[in-house]
Amino acid sequence: MNAIDLKSILNFSAFRPEPDDPSASWKKRFPSEKTVFFGIGRAALSWRGIGRGSHLGEVELVRADPKEILAQSSEHIKPLAEQGWCSISLNTRYVISLETNLSRRTGSEDMLKSNPRSVLGGRYERGKRYALTHNPETNSSILLTFDEDQTRKTEGLFTEAGFRVGRICCGAYELLKHALAETNTKKGSENPVSNFYIICCEGAVCALVQDQDRWVELRSRTDVYEDDPTPITDLLAPFHSRLGPEIGITLACDEPVAGLTDRLATVFQGRTVSDLSKPALLANLMLQN
Amino acid sequence: MQLLEHPIDDFKSERKDIMPPLPVVLRLVPLLFYCSIAVAVILSSLFAIQLKLAVQKRDNHKSQTGSITAQTQAARSERTSLETEINKARDIQNWVAGSRPLQPLIAAITRSMGPSSSIVDLRLDRDADNPSQIKMGLRIGTDSTKQLDITVDKITAMNFRTFSPTQTLGRGELDYKVTLMLQDPLREQTLETPQ
Repeated sequence: MNAIDLKSILNFSAFRPEPDDPSASWKKRFPSEKTVFFGIGRAALSWRGIGRGSHLGEVELVRADPKEILAQSSEHIKPLAEQGWCSISLNTRYVISLETNLSRRTGSEDMLKSNPRSVLGGRYERGKRYALTHNPETNSSILLTFDEDQTRKTEGLFTEAGFRVGRICCGAYELLKHALAETNTKKGSENPVSNFYIICCEGAVCALVQDQDRWVELRSRTDVYEDDPTPITDLLAPFHSRLGPEIGITLACDEPVAGLTDRLATVFQGRTVSDLSKPALLANLMLQN
Repeated sequence: MQLLEHPIDDFKSERKDIMPPLPVVLRLVPLLFYCSIAVAVILSSLFAIQLKLAVQKRDNHKSQTGSITAQTQAARSERTSLETEINKARDIQNWVAGSRPLQPLIAAITRSMGPSSSIVDLRLDRDADNPSQIKMGLRIGTDSTKQLDITVDKITAMNFRTFSPTQTLGRGELDYKVTLMLQDPLREQTLETPQ
């Protein structure tokens, strides 16, 4: 035991998860430390300070190349994070797809990180990182594929700017998981749920059709919209004819998009629109989980 | 179908040496450490206060002892001076007692002489160191010691006690030497009462 270990015991940090421990929630890692959340799009960077006691600050968004924004604004952003720790929602260069018959053996989640080939089989590609969400009622799974190079570059970019990366995640994927968890709450197949999930995060849009608990179709696109929600409805309009009449719409956006609910109601006439969007929804999810 | 909220999937390059947090129970270790520091500080403060009070008390005692010693010293010196005064007074008393007029004694000795006796020489000496005693030297012109007995009776009647008497008879003269001491009747009474 050296002096650093002793210090960490005396200031109780040894009893908290390490700042870059992916198994612990952000709130537990930094219970009384200021950190910052970043959201990265292809041509946009947003950030939000998390104060002591996990108080969310105001979000700031700049539409330009994230690398340039970081180079210019890092000195302005750094004071938001005491030790420089940040969490990144990376919303570009990823693919969310619907897969079937993937391995669900015990420990497959850990294996997905250490040996993804054993879980994904022929779907495995070198230089990618994966995350999986299985449908408990069917053999389908939602697979998130991230470009390893992109994550490394992102880490390097933020490290160069003087930040310490505690987490890199995909905001759209996390919002999709959240929307699924919010709507699929009853065990078993007695009360099957049908929904058309629309996820919007930092310009990325993901749409999943769930019919009687079965995941039927999934579309995911990045950098679709900026402020105007029209591209979202244009992208999703073709689904209207393919959806069953009883299927409602569940919308989840990282920040409420002005006018999107109305436009969806117009495009998807006759369907109920349930909006899970809340201010700082993604930031809250990243904080709590 | 039920889907539970899962932890966020992290794509950051994982560090291999990440340690899990220590068990919550072990929080007692730093807590006890801080408690012991707090107790040590409190006890040290108490001891410091006690020490300060004790030193103050000791100084007070020292100053009290000093003042009492000074008082004792003053009383002793006063006693010494009183004793000196008493001794001086006793000397004066002795002197006064010893310096009573000797005329009645001389008159009694003279009157004790019979028709056939005469006083050849009478000498009365009083020592300055012991004035209560009178050394008497008496030479009587007589042929017998009868006159001496009469004279000694007269002297005794005058409340004088005789000590160390010596007498020498020769050539019709009797040489008698004695130490006389005035007998204080009050003192005699005091001495006699316990008996």
